[in-house]
Amino acid sequence: MNSKHSFIGAVEIGTSKITVLVGEYTGRELAIIGCGECQSRGVIKGTVVDYKAASDCTHSALESAERDAGERIGCVFLAQTGGHLEGFHNHATVNVKAADNMIGRDDIDTVSELAKTKDLPAGRMVVHNIRRPFHVDGRLVPTSPENLVGQKLEVGYWTVHGQEQRLADHIHVIRGFNLEVRELVLSSLASGHMVTTPEERQHGILAIDIGAGTTDFVLYRDGVAHTTGVVPVGGTHLTNDLAIGLRLTEGHAEKLKLRFGRAEVQNRDRAEKVWLDGNFAIGDRQFPRQAIETILSARTWELLEVVKKKLGNAFAPETCAGGVVLTGGGAKLPALAECASKVFGVPAHLGEPPAGVSENLRDPGYHTALGLLYYGLSSQSEQAAARRRGGFLRGVTRLFAHT
Amino acid sequence: MSRAAETPPTARHWRNIPQQVRPRAMSAEGRLRLVLTALRWTGGAVALLLAGWGAWQAAAVWRGDAAALRDGAEAPPLRQLVLKTDGVLDQPWLARTLALPAGTTLAQLNLADLRARVLTSGQVHEATISRDFPATLTVRITERSPVARLRVAGARGPLSLVVASDGTVYEGVGYLPALLDSLPWLDGIRLARRGPGFAPIAGMRRVADLLTRARFDAAALYQTWQVVSLARFASDGEIEVRARGGLKVTFGTQEDFFRQLARLDLLLDTARARGAPPIAAVDLSLPRQAGVPVTFASADPVEAPARPAQAALAHFYPN
Repeated sequence: MNSKHSFIGAVEIGTSKITVLVGEYTGRELAIIGCGECQSRGVIKGTVVDYKAASDCTHSALESAERDAGERIGCVFLAQTGGHLEGFHNHATVNVKAADNMIGRDDIDTVSELAKTKDLPAGRMVVHNIRRPFHVDGRLVPTSPENLVGQKLEVGYWTVHGQEQRLADHIHVIRGFNLEVRELVLSSLASGHMVTTPEERQHGILAIDIGAGTTDFVLYRDGVAHTTGVVPVGGTHLTNDLAIGLRLTEGHAEKLKLRFGRAEVQNRDRAEKVWLDGNFAIGDRQFPRQAIETILSARTWELLEVVKKKLGNAFAPETCAGGVVLTGGGAKLPALAECASKVFGVPAHLGEPPAGVSENLRDPGYHTALGLLYYGLSSQSEQAAARRRGGFLRGVTRLFAHT
Repeated sequence: MSRAAETPPTARHWRNIPQQVRPRAMSAEGRLRLVLTALRWTGGAVALLLAGWGAWQAAAVWRGDAAALRDGAEAPPLRQLVLKTDGVLDQPWLARTLALPAGTTLAQLNLADLRARVLTSGQVHEATISRDFPATLTVRITERSPVARLRVAGARGPLSLVVASDGTVYEGVGYLPALLDSLPWLDGIRLARRGPGFAPIAGMRRVADLLTRARFDAAALYQTWQVVSLARFASDGEIEVRARGGLKVTFGTQEDFFRQLARLDLLLDTARARGAPPIAAVDLSLPRQAGVPVTFASADPVEAPARPAQAALAHFYPN
């Protein structure tokens, strides 16, 4: 084995299942070489509530993935979701220092630091600082403004923060397997990165990841993540609604949802019934199809409305040319795209990973784990590049600047 | 404005969360991985240390004698045989004994086999053989010293052998004739064959003790000793010495030889001073409290059957 190869694990500790993918990174390309899955226990709405149970099933999935890959995972990129995650936008402006108004690296660093610097409430920790595009004298600069001429440099950061204990619980579950968490990535960013193209992100697109316990969303504008959010409602809530509405157990409700569920009411015939099992065994029951569709569509519509409300002014159909892309296990609900299209007033479609991803990993349930690997690696590369920029010469310059 | 107020507040990042967990919070697989990781690190560290030590050793050898290392690797034929001994054996004897074929290299030599060959000679007590690269074989030996000699019947006629203090019987090589002539002959023993030579003589250490005492403490007496008979050594604990002039002295092994020699010397001196006839036999084997039976060479010996000699000696050798 080449010593330059590293084996990275992408772990998504979800409410219904735990997914682990093993990627072999050669420094240039990434290959998915192993996959492990385990039914989740001890996790509610993306939050660890039973450490032992969550650890056991996560470690089981990790072991299974390592066995499948035939290699030991070196480090982990961990997906993070949950209702405790919140975000805010912070904006900063600086006057360009140089007499000739040419923007230097110092100006960029200063404005970036100012935009990132904001006190958080006690017990909160930053998960992501997502930079929005720079503006030079009100002019949008999609890339680096270095060496451009202007008097005023502005930048905004979307800061995602979460509750310290919940973040720590997730990290400790992984550490209990003696693995280091190298990167913590918001689930919406991971899955959004996987199902959107750079062009779509440039034109504006809303990615919604409907999981079992939570729905994560990210709105892209000008090529970067503009707003993110988490709604603690997911596929299990649809199942619950069915169970309550039709007086069923959760297992039966889940079965009905998967077989006959739709996000829009299609059947107008009240008399049409569907069988629960369809095997004519004792205990098999009939349910009105329209009732199933009505319950699910109402809840789906409500969920998407909540997402729209949370986005607030950030979302506008005219700034979201790419429309809405849906992913996650919940996105497999038929007619969900049509429903989303009606709610947001823009075209909607189901997300597809890029070509090249193997057929068995194209299911929407794997998009977050796949995105974790790709987003995590690109994030690490950016950090490495930033470290390189702050090299020896830069250190010397700073030293003289401060003396 | 204070310095703290100038510094912008920094929000805590998730990377500030300590990732270490207590082992009890780890699963069995996690603990196993932890142990394996620790073992791997330890093994790596040990391997690194060993490699470093090996490199240091190689450097030390190279610095010390680089030419020897190179020559050793090329393995030239053996050029020199060096004998270091505390005795009389010489280099030709060593060459004869080892009988190494020409062109042999040090690497081809079986040192254990060569040592066995050297030890075949009873004259060699201990032997150590070492290779001194590039082409020198060094043999260090300690030799036995002869205390008596004896004559045995060989295939080609009578053969003179010597006996060491530990009873080893061997063919003395390289000794000066004067030294050999000064040694008394051993008599009254039965030699047993062992391999190509003879088994060591039992009790020879005690006899060697007497001879060494006499040689250094009563040299005048020792020079006259010709035969040492061990005929009654095993049965009665007596060593009989026959000296020039017909004197026969019987030593007992129970008493200190120095006292016995002193008594003999005094007795001979006293007899000579009084103009007594030559003494033919002296028995020193009796206990110290008893008198010393002496037989004179004259026709009418003083000694009576019972205890006449004791009476005759009582006045000049009180107990």
